This record gives sequence, C-alpha cells and structure tokens, in this order.
Amino acid sequence: MLFKKLLRTMGQYKAQFISMIIMIALGIGVFVGFNMEWVSIEQNTSKFFSDTRFADYRIVSEAGFTESDLDAISAADGVKAASRYVSVNASVNGDKDRTLALTVTENPEVSFFIVTKGDAYDETDTQGLWLSDQYASKNKVKKGDDLTLTFNGFDFTFTVRGFIKSGEYMICTRDETQLMPDLAKYAFAYVSPAAYLAKTGMAYYPQINVISSMSKSKFTETANAALGNTYMILSRDETVSYAESQGEAKEGKTMGSIVPVLFLAIAVLTMVTTMHRLTAKEKTQIGTLKALGFKNRRILLHYTSYALFIALVGTILGTGLGYGIAWIIMNPDGMMGTYFDMPEWKLYKPLFCVFIMLGIIAALTLIGFLSTRRMLAGTAADALRPYVPRKVKPLLIEKTKLFHKLSFGTRWNLRDIFRHKARTGMSLLGIVGCMVIIVAVMAMNDTVNAFLKTYYEDAMNYSSRIYVAQTATDEERSALIAKYDGDWSASIPVELKAKAVSLDVYSVTKDKYRFIGTDDRRKTLSSDGAYVCKRLAKEFGIGAGSTITVYPYGTNTPYTLKVSGILRSVTENIVITDAYAKSLGIDFKPDSIYTSTQKADVASDTAIKSVQAKSEIVETFDSFMEIMIIMIVVFIVAAVVLGIVVLYNLGVMSYTERYREMATLKVLGFKDKKIGGLMISQNLWVTVVGMIAGFPLGLLVLDVLIDALASEYEMGMAVGPLTFVVSIALTLGVSLLVSLMVARKNKKINMVEALKGAE
Amino acid sequence: MALIEFQQVSRVYVSGEHELKALDGVDLSIDKGKFVVILGPSGAGKSTLLNLLGGLDSPTSGKIVVGGKDISTLSGDELAEYRAKTVGFVFQFYNLIPTLTVHENVTLVKEISPQALSATKMIEEVGLSDHLNNFPSQLSGGEQQRVSIARALAKNPEVLLCDEPTGALDSETGVMVLKLLLKMARTYDKTIIIVTHNQNIARMADVVVRVKNGRILSVVDQPEPANADDIDW
Repeated sequence: MLFKKLLRTMGQYKAQFISMIIMIALGIGVFVGFNMEWVSIEQNTSKFFSDTRFADYRIVSEAGFTESDLDAISAADGVKAASRYVSVNASVNGDKDRTLALTVTENPEVSFFIVTKGDAYDETDTQGLWLSDQYASKNKVKKGDDLTLTFNGFDFTFTVRGFIKSGEYMICTRDETQLMPDLAKYAFAYVSPAAYLAKTGMAYYPQINVISSMSKSKFTETANAALGNTYMILSRDETVSYAESQGEAKEGKTMGSIVPVLFLAIAVLTMVTTMHRLTAKEKTQIGTLKALGFKNRRILLHYTSYALFIALVGTILGTGLGYGIAWIIMNPDGMMGTYFDMPEWKLYKPLFCVFIMLGIIAALTLIGFLSTRRMLAGTAADALRPYVPRKVKPLLIEKTKLFHKLSFGTRWNLRDIFRHKARTGMSLLGIVGCMVIIVAVMAMNDTVNAFLKTYYEDAMNYSSRIYVAQTATDEERSALIAKYDGDWSASIPVELKAKAVSLDVYSVTKDKYRFIGTDDRRKTLSSDGAYVCKRLAKEFGIGAGSTITVYPYGTNTPYTLKVSGILRSVTENIVITDAYAKSLGIDFKPDSIYTSTQKADVASDTAIKSVQAKSEIVETFDSFMEIMIIMIVVFIVAAVVLGIVVLYNLGVMSYTERYREMATLKVLGFKDKKIGGLMISQNLWVTVVGMIAGFPLGLLVLDVLIDALASEYEMGMAVGPLTFVVSIALTLGVSLLVSLMVARKNKKINMVEALKGAE
Repeated sequence: MALIEFQQVSRVYVSGEHELKALDGVDLSIDKGKFVVILGPSGAGKSTLLNLLGGLDSPTSGKIVVGGKDISTLSGDELAEYRAKTVGFVFQFYNLIPTLTVHENVTLVKEISPQALSATKMIEEVGLSDHLNNFPSQLSGGEQQRVSIARALAKNPEVLLCDEPTGALDSETGVMVLKLLLKMARTYDKTIIIVTHNQNIARMADVVVRVKNGRILSVVDQPEPANADDIDW
C-alpha cells in the first residue's frame, strides 16, 4: 500500500522529482563521460603504442648515424631494441598541397606500423609503399596505384602495397605550429630500407629509435658512452603523438573533475532542500502514519526510498548520458577522431566511477533518511503537528532608514530572501553555475581565437616557410634568402637542464616574423640577451635577468645566455637574434626562410627540402574550431538545462511556500500581474547578484583550464564582448523564462481553499 | 435601496460526476450600516455566500449587486479591484503576511486602495501602537486578529466581511475582538457581515440570517441587539 503512496506522491511532486533526476543525471553524465574519455584515451593509445612498439627514446643527429653507431647502441646494456630511422616530407605526384612524411625504419620491432588492409610488410620489397589508410581513403588511392614522391628536388615512384596506421604518426602534424592533423593533405607512408637504398642510393638515417626501460638520465649516459658523443635524445614525452595524447587525457581528467563537481554539488544541495521541503510538507502525513501505528523504521524506509529512487534513476540515466558524451568525443568520426589516427576506439569505464556513483547514491539516500528522521522526531502527536517554519526576525538592514523608504513589495521580497536562505542560496548557485559555465566556455573560445589570431595572423606575417635542405651550402642558403626576400631562422637543438629544447636564432629585418610578449603585445628583440618561452620560463623558474646555460647537441661547448624577457611561443624554445648568437660565437646555419612569396611560386630547388604555406596550417583550424564549437554548444545547453531545472524547482518550491501569502494578497485586492511582478522581481535580484558573482568565477574556471592546457599552448586569457552579451542574455533569459513559467501559476491560486486552514 | 442584493444566486461545485449545490437560489438584501450575522451549521453554504460577496468566487447563476454594481460578471482583474476598494476581509486564521511587520501588514493596502486610511491611526484604534514593528509570529492570536481588523478597515471599504473571526480565539479574547469590530464598524460607518456558527454572536446583530443546505431559512431583524457584555459566553 505504501508503494502505491510512493507512486502517487511522485506524481504530486513531479516537478521536483523530474528536476532532481535531471540534475543527478547531468552530474553523473558529465562525470562519467569525461572520465571515460580520458581513461579511454589512455587505454586505447597505450594499446596502440604497445602494438606498434612505440620507441622509448629517439637519438637525433642531422649528421646521420652509421650501422656501427646502431650496433653500438644495440649492444649497450639495458637496450632492448634499436632501429635507424628517417622521415622526410615529400610532395605527392607534383601536388604541392599533398605531403607525405616518407618514413624508413630498419627494425620492425621498434616504432613500426600496423597494416589495416592490403599486403603485409615485406622488407625485401624495393618498389612497395605502405600508405596511411586515412590518406588513401581521403584521396581515393587504391592498392597497386603508383605514387611519385618528390623530396630534395628529386622524384621517386613507389607502388602502394598496403594501408597502415602508425603510432609514430598517431597525431600527424608537420610540426607544433599545426594544431590539428589534416590527413587528406599531410600524412605518412613507409617504404623498406631496401627500397630507400635502391631508389635514392642513400642510407642516411638521422635518428635512432630505441626501446629501453632506462630512465632518461641513465639512457643519455649509456647512449653517449656508446656513441662517443652527446646527441639530442628525446624521450616519449617529447614526441607529439605521445605528449599530446597524454595532454588530451590530462585535459579530460581536468574536465572530468571540475565540471561534474559543479553539477553534482548542485544536485546534492538541491536534494537537501527538496527532500527537506517534501518531508516538511508531508509532515502531517508522516504523523498520520505514525499515529496509525506504523513503526518509525517503516516510515523512514518509505520516505528514504523516494531519495533512493531519485538517486537510482538519475544515476542510470546519467550513466547512459555519460556513455553518450564519451562516445561523441571518442569515436573514429567524432571529436577525437579528427585528432587521433588509431585503430581501436573502445570505451573504458574506470572502476573509480562506479565507486563514486555508489557513493553518490548512498549520500543522496542518506539525505532522504535524515530529512525524514527530523520530521519523525518526538511522539506521534508531535509528528502530526504541521511543520513550523522558522520565525521571522528583523534583518540587519531594517535598522537603516533606507529600508523604510522601500516599497512593501521590496521589503516582502527582501525578507523572503533572507528567511529562506537555503532556497535563495540554491537559486544563486544555479545562476552562478549557469553563468560560470557559459562564461568559461565562451571566454575559452575568445581565448583560443585570440591565440590563433596572435600567432597565425600577427606573429606569422609570411605566406610561406621554406625549409632549407640539410645538404645546402652557405652560398645556396644566402642566395635563397636574397631571392625570396625573407627573414630567416636557424634551429639549434640544445639541452637546457636535461631537457631537449630548440635554440632558435632569428634574423628579422623584413617584418615577416614577429614576437609576442606575455602581455600579448609585439615585442622587438634586443641583441644583448635571450628570450625564453613562457612554458620553459615557468618550468625552470626563469625570468628576465636570470642566466641560463645551454649545451648544443653534438658539441661539448656550453653557452651561457642572459635572459632579456619572456615570449609567448607555439614551440618550446629559446629565441635569440643572429647578432647575439654571433657575439656568443654560436655556430648556426639558416634552415627556415619566411617569405611573402606564395608556396606555388617557390621554384623547385635541390637546396629546398620543402615548403609550407601558412594557409595549410590555418585550414586545419576549421576542424579545431568545429570541435570547439561542439563543446561550446554542449556546455551551453548543459548550463541552460541546469539553470532551468534548478530555478524551476526552486521557483515551484517558493510558489508553494508563499501560496498562502499570495492568496492573502489576492484577497486584499492585488491583481495577478502585480503578485507575479513581485515574484519575478525577487528572482531578478537573485539573478543579478548571481551573474555578478558568476562572471569572475567563470573566468577563474577558465584560468584553471588554461593552466591545464599550458603544457600544450601558451594562451593568454581573452574575453570578447560577445561573451558578456551572451552570458548575460542567456542567464537572464533562463531566469526570466522560469519566473514567467512560475508566475503564470498565480492565476490558479484558489483564494477560498488557501485561506481555509491554519498556518 | 439595499447596499447588497442577492438575486436567485446559485453556486454549484462540480467534482467528477458529483454536483454539490453550495447555494441554491438565494435571495437576500442587506442595508447599509447594518451589523449582519449569518448563522448556520457547517456545510450550510454560509462561507460560500461570504466568498461570493467578497469577490473570491463567482456564482454559477444569479446576480449579486453591491452598491448598484453587478459583481457576478466581473473579470479577474475587475474582481481584484472590487476586493481592493469595496470589501475588507477578516478571517478565522488572520492571514497576515508573516514576513511583514504589523505596520507593514496594514500599510500594504495603500498599494491597492487610493482611499486607504492611515495605517498608524488604524493600529492605534485597535490598540496595538506598541507593536508597530513586531512580526505577526511575535503576537498572540487576539492581537493578530486585531491587526487583521486594522488592515481590513484601513482599506476604507464599504463592507467588512468576517469569516468566523473568533473561531480560533478563546472566548474572552473573542468577545474583545467582537466588541472592537462593532466599535470600529460604528465609528467608520461600515456595513459588517459576520459568518459564524456561534449562536451567541447572533444576539448582538441588527439582522440574523439563518442558512441551511444552501438556502436561506429566515431573515430576522433585531431592533434591539444585546450588548456584548450582557451576553453569557
């Protein structure tokens, strides 16, 4: 019989029940979704890396490694396997817009690929090519097709044998300036060392990939001893595929812990207020049951089961929603699909999610239990007596003269706000939550846009970047610089406090390249010091005035640089002018030329390794921004749902609580509109206060997010006018909509009914 | 001419398939300035009669004319205006706004009635000048009822409608409240209608209307009503 009552009561309080369930489902959904996302990223990528035997270390030298170097490394203690490796960018079939990273690795046991279709790898094949399956399907390349690859000014033709994916190219971008892969235009292909030698007559391998479980310092020691020189050694964490997938997982972890906390906190607090109101309203029924002879335990069980029911249904729906969110992000055609190129996209649900969900169900049930117990306290007669709300006490502000000048409505609302602190607090929290989410995601968008604009429109003031071939002579380099009227730079791999970073020497006289200070303004470099990027500055505590010592790889000469300032940079680097480099006696050769000449107008030249158009990078922003916009929409919808649910729930609660007062006003002769206006204005005050608090809080959340992204992007927070307008308009809109929805009920106030019983 | 005129007024409540005739063709006229008591057992229809007259409800059929104006066909907002200007209510359970002070509860009516009287004066009249800034919950039942009388009169209405005004009070306090009601009605020349099932109150009235089963049983004029102090409560 009590079960029947349970169902009927739910029908009676359906607004509360539904809103509770939605809140819990949203909270659990976001929580499960983002935590599944990062765990799935970790699981799937680590499986992919282990399937393709992703190298632990990469030893790099532009001079190239000989077979005896490889033997020396392979023979070293603690080295499990090693392979010489080369990757060059080659344009495809003379199309300057299609580039493949042509890759050769000697030992398939180190950083190799998996064949998804076509023939298995054959190391004796001197004609065959194994091509990225994504590139093949996007460019309609079939097995047996011939591809002509051009690099260093020469053409080489290969026949497509199979289609592959590679851990090394899981995130396939040219360099750190490209934010998102675009596998239709830039992908990868492998040929056998035999084919490499047969076609090019070369056995040039500037890199050795190594599998070893040694620590980096131990490995560096071992490698340097074996090779008799210091080389740039990159660990897994310094490769794009590994570092960025780890970064994504970390971002997911941040999202999975910040955002759901907000939703779940609101859900739990809503539960507290709702269960309290519900049991308070049911107090006489609770008393009746008690008077009828029901044991306390039975009654407790009955009312606690409401909370349990809400928690269970919310959790089940939330889990479904979480799978949905995780799937939207983690599927081959989804958001991560444009980023990661990997074979398996399984969704993993971490065990701790189950425990936390059980914890939440338990907590919510406990809330129900405690609320009921409060109403049950004392004898049956006590329980039968209706719940008496707290007495009204004069407010502090009533002592002021101003208060007495306020209209009665204002006073009524003010007192109501302070009398029902929990309700007001919850409304505030709902508004603040709504505002925080909208502000954070909108300002995130502003920040990313500002970031893109700063780097790609302002800093990169060129049309094309010409990569000079390793083999080019000094004369050829000077001739290219003169011919394309460009600024130039030279990258020197150096070690800074055991970390491989790039020391970039810039000669900027043509305004093709600009530098951005931490204040997001352009900065002119002086020739008496070095400029360190923000990430390195933060990591090593470097500031203007400090001195740093760098060790160029392949030499044993350290250089001590005075730091003149901090720059925002896309790559992790140290920037100096050519004049400063010369004054320190640092040896460098220009390897990149920044020019206004269009890529198509750059003539083929044996001194040119490859040319990259800025437009190619900028085009990849589209997919980046698409993902960004999906995220924004998802979060704004969640924020609006959150706002509506919380405010409607509280609005109905407030309406019910003030029903008698409003009926009295109506009897006195107040019109519906005026009574509605009173309620709406109260909501508006709370909304305005919530918005004022929510805006800076939203920026604070954004700051945390930017911090989480700091290892990948050096962004400065930006807030556009649209963010102000949209966040205010949406939050205010939600509040007004809900107020109107509740105020409409005023017409239905039954004066006769309302005034019958005692308060 | 009578101030209040009920012409063949019926009020039928329909719930599901059941029809309940709360009032069944009632004819009644009440003159200005009279102290009228409507007497009847519970369920007789006396509260319905009062609610219709107070503009809280509209009749199913028939006409209610107050001060020459038919109120049975007014819209929601027109009824609100009628309630604001023409009638004042005193309820069994006072129905004060708990979050407003005594003074504010009375001043409240200034928002809706241009002819409102001074709140301070009204509170003084009901003897609560010392409690101006108290909240209703800080007052006794009798004091709260006095505030509610002050509020009803502050609107300066034609008619004062009281639904069991002493129902929640002990008899001593009840008598005091009744005396106050009567005094105020006389001072401000108001028509006063009290609905009750308490026979004793009827002895004080100018006119006693008996109601049963939705019909008027009798209307009796009492040219010499008893003084409250002479009644044995």
